[in-house]
Amino acid sequence: MDELTREFLIESQEGLDRMERCLTDLETRPQDAALLGEIFRSVHTIKGTTGFLGFKRLEKLAHAGENLLGLLRDGKLVADRPLITGLLQLLDGLRSILKTIETEASEGDGEDSRLIEELEALQAPAHVHQPARAHAGAHSASTAAPVAPPQSTVPSAPPQPAVVAVPAQPVNAHPAPAPEASAARAQPSPAPAAGTAAESTLRVDVILLNRMMNLVGELVLTRNQVLQATAADPNMTLLSRRLDMVTADLRESVMKARMQPVSNIFSKIPRIVRDLSQSLGRRVRLQVEGQDTELDKSQLEAIKDPLTHAVRNSLDHGIESPADRQAAGKDPEGTLKLRASHEGGHVVIEVSDDGAGIAVEKVRQKAIERGLITADRAAQLGERELLQLIFLPGFSTAAQVTNVSGRGVGMDVVRTNVEKIGGKVEIDSRAGKGTTLRLRIPLTLAIIPALIVRSVNQSFALPQGSLSELVHIPPELATNAIEWIEGAPLHRLRGKLLPLVFLDRMLMPAEEHRLITERDNFIAVLDADGRRFGLVVDGLADPEEIVVKPLSAVLKNIGLYSGATVLGNADLALILDPGAIAMKAGVTMSAREDSNDVEEELDANARGMDFLLVEVGGRRAAVPLADVLRIEQLPASRIEYIGYRPVLNFEGQLMPVDDSGGILPAAEADPDAKIIVVVCREGSRHVGIAVSHVLDVASGADLFEAGTSQRTGGVTLLKERVTGVVDLGSVPALPATETSTGQWNQIAETVA
Amino acid sequence: MSRSTVTHQGGNSGNEASAALVEVCSVRLGETWFGVPITHILEIVGAARPQPVPLAPGYVGGLVHYRGDVLTTVSLRQLLSLPPKAGAQDILVLESAGGCFGLLVDSVGEVLTVSASDHEPNPSILDQRRKALFAGAYKLKDRLLVMLDPERLDPLLLSQAS
Repeated sequence: MDELTREFLIESQEGLDRMERCLTDLETRPQDAALLGEIFRSVHTIKGTTGFLGFKRLEKLAHAGENLLGLLRDGKLVADRPLITGLLQLLDGLRSILKTIETEASEGDGEDSRLIEELEALQAPAHVHQPARAHAGAHSASTAAPVAPPQSTVPSAPPQPAVVAVPAQPVNAHPAPAPEASAARAQPSPAPAAGTAAESTLRVDVILLNRMMNLVGELVLTRNQVLQATAADPNMTLLSRRLDMVTADLRESVMKARMQPVSNIFSKIPRIVRDLSQSLGRRVRLQVEGQDTELDKSQLEAIKDPLTHAVRNSLDHGIESPADRQAAGKDPEGTLKLRASHEGGHVVIEVSDDGAGIAVEKVRQKAIERGLITADRAAQLGERELLQLIFLPGFSTAAQVTNVSGRGVGMDVVRTNVEKIGGKVEIDSRAGKGTTLRLRIPLTLAIIPALIVRSVNQSFALPQGSLSELVHIPPELATNAIEWIEGAPLHRLRGKLLPLVFLDRMLMPAEEHRLITERDNFIAVLDADGRRFGLVVDGLADPEEIVVKPLSAVLKNIGLYSGATVLGNADLALILDPGAIAMKAGVTMSAREDSNDVEEELDANARGMDFLLVEVGGRRAAVPLADVLRIEQLPASRIEYIGYRPVLNFEGQLMPVDDSGGILPAAEADPDAKIIVVVCREGSRHVGIAVSHVLDVASGADLFEAGTSQRTGGVTLLKERVTGVVDLGSVPALPATETSTGQWNQIAETVA
Repeated sequence: MSRSTVTHQGGNSGNEASAALVEVCSVRLGETWFGVPITHILEIVGAARPQPVPLAPGYVGGLVHYRGDVLTTVSLRQLLSLPPKAGAQDILVLESAGGCFGLLVDSVGEVLTVSASDHEPNPSILDQRRKALFAGAYKLKDRLLVMLDPERLDPLLLSQAS
């Protein structure tokens, strides 16, 4: 296929995508001249170019469409429902021919006369003038002529002079700002419209972008290694810091280049909603929010199908028929909301409807019927757990199998696809009120934060995303802290039993391992798709940003590793897949309920029950555990100063550090000194507390003032000793805290 | 590793002879010398220490970092049921239909030019396993050079076989 044809195909596809968006908008605003102009232009451009390239079949169809659109644009026809349906068929017709050209390099010999006849029949209601004048006018307006909105007083206004550089658009009702923006950022929009946009953008092959991403990943690795190797050398500090910054910037830029607004996939939804609500007899209003939220191109591709499926589900199972809705006292028109937003290091895409919700009892029955769980088990499950069952393969509650959904391959596919790109799916439903499905997608694919753990004399990377906390059990406490039921190890975590998996025993079942009483045990409390368990490892190393490298098929088949990575010390580490480990160890979903309990318990603790006991310059102090995000050990040289105020720089994000104990000046004299900073949440900002040692976690008891018996503030009884509580609020704010608080959340991917 | 001066000269005269000559990289495993056609070798990585992969099939020698990727290696010792060797090993990076993989050997020798007429197929007394891995041998003056077929060493293929 020659370059020209390829170019033509890409441009036409883009034009048709825009046309589709406009057509669905047209339904709500049939008189919108800008929309009509846009649609007309898309078809007109295709027709113009096809004539030139010699695609006769395409030209004929586009011509028929253009005639009809010409009448519409000139106000001789009104865009009613059948007409829009006809235009959508035209769109499909054009698409299928383009597809044939793409695959076979020729138009194929399909017959379009029926569609052309239909389009001609649709011209009939015009019954005023025949299209002659109107479309002659359209012809004379060459491709370069942006179409002016017709003035209603002059029915067949002559096209405006062709020198206007920017298409005339109504000031108030811009049809679809997002598609416009997306077209301008990565692809030159069809020649006539925006010359300036076309000049400042260029088309880049995705393969090249992928390659760049890989190289940047390499650079990040090399940077990590350089930073580790030069950490001790004061001469290199400046250079390596600069390398650190440049790498971070470069990585961000390359990632940005791969970003595309979610409007690219959201734009397909209105059409689906329109078609489905017609065939299902529903009345649905679609609300879209956060269209300009951006995601990596490959992630967008990956969630396209899950999203479509979720929308289909909402329409088919969620939103009831208008009669049912009225009977239930609801607005006969249902609402489907599509919302994209940033949340921490994730993009959250929400599909919510105000339909019937999921009847939990039906789910229970269905699951038993399909043999997915036993009746006994089902009776024990709570509402939230029952909802999770719809993600099981082979589950479908549709009373009747329709061609829309309900083929029994529903939600499990949504879940698998989203999990494949490291995301999570959450569902929330209330009978009679509606259902919300939340897709949580990580911002980056290739680089993730991970905790490096040690086991069987090797390093392994544990993705931070599923890590909720760490518990250290020294050898002397192991006998009591780890309990057994018939060979199954358990740990009592805040009163709840947590199933344990010993990583060494799982990885090397044949070998003898050191007894738990002869070594340190670290329990990484993991939450993988609702399976909560503790993974026991022999040691912890630093958290690192790791670059995920794919494994060969042979090693992927082992099933426990999701990839491998190169660490800062140039060692290779396998990336553990918590979900697969849980599955292999037989940890079941039922743990979900427990995890909620623990969260609730944590909330209770926030009211001042548990404290992190630290030593600050010889004094003992307590930090409310609920406010602790993580504990960092870093070289003292990482601390920088604004005036006299110590701050920490995490890739451009500043955090004030409280040094009431005077630890920092002492440490800085020694270039090798490490300091410990407890990172806490205070309101919406993060503050660091420099401490000498972290001693323990303990519950505090209230103290009362003698005589008055009033509860005292600022102190607590920890381990039988009166201990002062660190007042996080007293840490002075940074000058620009107001604007940066939102970003803080991003580095707060934490263990807390 | 030293590369012996190759006698093969692709000049005007030797067209017939060159068609019958094969360049082979020799690798040592214990006392035995094996040959791998150099056309399949992408690169030789010396003194590597592959990272073991727990639970991997026995013939997997571990992972090494190779040009930004993580390369799965196949241990020739394991394949031939020889005891594992302590310390660093050399790796031949081989290209096969399924992508790249590494072949762990004790050490890499020189590149030899052998004549196709000295080639003989696998002897019938070899056990099945070795028959599957070897591609005959070249009769050198002083010893035999057992040929390995890179395609048959591909880890994915090995996993299907086992």
